[in-house]
Amino acid sequence: MTNTVAVEGPKVSNVGDAASSHQPCAVSVENASVKFGAFTAINNLSLEIEEGAFYTILGPSGCGKSTFLRLVSDLVPAASGDVRILGKSTEAARLGRELAFVFQDATLLPWRTVLENVELPLEIGESTGVDIPVSEKSPEELLELVGLKGRENAMPHELSGGMKQRVAIARALVCKPKLLLMDEPFGALDEMTRDHLNLQLLKIWQETGVTIVFVTHSIQEAVFLGQKVVMFQANPGRLKEVIDIDFPYPREITLRDKPEFIRHTAYLRSLLETCS
Amino acid sequence: MNASSSFEIDKQALLLEKKAEQRGRLEAIALPLGTLLVLLVLWEFGVRFFEVPPYIAPAPSDVATTLVDKFPLLLTNFWPTFQESILGFIVGNLAAVLVAIAFVHNKMVEKAFFPLAVFINTIPILAIAPILVLIFGSGLSAKVIIAGLICFFPTLVNMVRGLQSISPQALELARILSASKSEVFWEFRLPASLPFLFSALKIAATTCVIGAIIGEWVGADVGLGSLILDSTFNFRASLLYATVLMSSGLSVCIFAAVSITERLMIRW
Ligand SMILES: Nc1ncnc2c1ncn2[C@@H]1O[C@H](COP(=O)(O)OP(=O)(O)O)[C@@H](O)[C@H]1O
Ligand SMILES: [Mg+2]
Repeated sequence: MTNTVAVEGPKVSNVGDAASSHQPCAVSVENASVKFGAFTAINNLSLEIEEGAFYTILGPSGCGKSTFLRLVSDLVPAASGDVRILGKSTEAARLGRELAFVFQDATLLPWRTVLENVELPLEIGESTGVDIPVSEKSPEELLELVGLKGRENAMPHELSGGMKQRVAIARALVCKPKLLLMDEPFGALDEMTRDHLNLQLLKIWQETGVTIVFVTHSIQEAVFLGQKVVMFQANPGRLKEVIDIDFPYPREITLRDKPEFIRHTAYLRSLLETCS
Repeated sequence: MNASSSFEIDKQALLLEKKAEQRGRLEAIALPLGTLLVLLVLWEFGVRFFEVPPYIAPAPSDVATTLVDKFPLLLTNFWPTFQESILGFIVGNLAAVLVAIAFVHNKMVEKAFFPLAVFINTIPILAIAPILVLIFGSGLSAKVIIAGLICFFPTLVNMVRGLQSISPQALELARILSASKSEVFWEFRLPASLPFLFSALKIAATTCVIGAIIGEWVGADVGLGSLILDSTFNFRASLLYATVLMSSGLSVCIFAAVSITERLMIRW
């Protein structure tokens, strides 16, 4: 949509001001800092994410990746700076269900069936008075989209880790979010399941056009999924570099064996070493 | 060839496993029953062989005869105790649940009242019972309060734990969905607390009967508790034993009712 800008180096360039004033970014973070007491988890971070983009975030553990997602989703306040979601405040975006979150563990409610878990967002938050948007796809269709047709009435404890995470993705999509934040959603899964879910996620991204910000600790996963890989740096958490990954979609698993892919992962690995 | 034979082995293994499981279940029932039977037989013969006088220790057969012969008497005394236990169970657990909810929603309330709850819990129930009978008289209410009091503390502690057992991540999910306070309570905290609540209710199922009986000891002329005292002082040992059996039967019934409700409500 917006012109893709090759960004290199720690500073994020902001080209196309005229265009972006017409079309607000999905996420626009300006000089934001997050503090927990005296501890600075994120320091002076600026980043813009275009609508419809797929960004992956990499960085050493404790560098503030989760905190960044929690900042964007209005779970923690910014100590300074500004965060806008599609031109609105994070609170307005949260109330309007423009963003959805997928956690590392699926966070399904064990007393609800699979289908009831997917329906949860439709039943909650009416007291805010803000209309809850509903996806054109029914909860059943969303379960089909994530490959769980026929398991609607299963209880979460009957599902494998990968299936639970798929339920969580279906739940995240049920209010038709414009921004999907994912915090190491496949981190606890085995490699085969993870590969499978990566492909499925790309399919969902292309079908729905949702903007995705995906935190991972796997360099391969970051390069395979993202249009851009954002590298964070620790102590204090801040932006290190944004790397363009311009392999076309749909991407196939075999992409990972290509020399260009390996060049990216090798570069990111060396970059990661300088980050902690 | 290879595949089919390994399939055969699989099937056999499955069959063996099933058999072992069945045997395990049978053992779980038959073993304690068998032990009980052997003990009863030993008791019966011991009493007859050593000619123990029946007012000290009756033979199991005597107890059984009494249980049948005196069943109307036992039943008349069963109902009051049943009523006190159930009412005490309801009152005590309901109060505990409500106080737990107040604690979880307001830390000040918890700070103000939890030490008090602990203090009351440290007073032996046998010591409070006469005080309560003095205050409330020898009617139903004193016994219900004693039975309720004995249920209160374990349920309070478990329920507070249960309401706090919801994961921080589930609470973040609630926040992202802009859930109201009451939605967080009804959709997240309360369901999460149910397994904790039921383990407390199972404790209460037996203790509420103890509470009712203690209440009857202090002041009552009906109920299993007063029948226990009566038959003890009149050296009617087999009636005493039959009454004790009725009391544990009552506990078992309440416990079973709680377990069945738990199984129906908690499917996870
Ligand atoms: N609620 C909190 N209170 C205090 N410190 C926190 C809190 N959340 C995160 N932190 C700290 O902020 C830093 C960044 O955490 P996090 O964003 O979870 O890192 P990452 O996800 O990159 O591993 C860590 O040092 C962590 O200890
Ligand atoms: Mg994290």
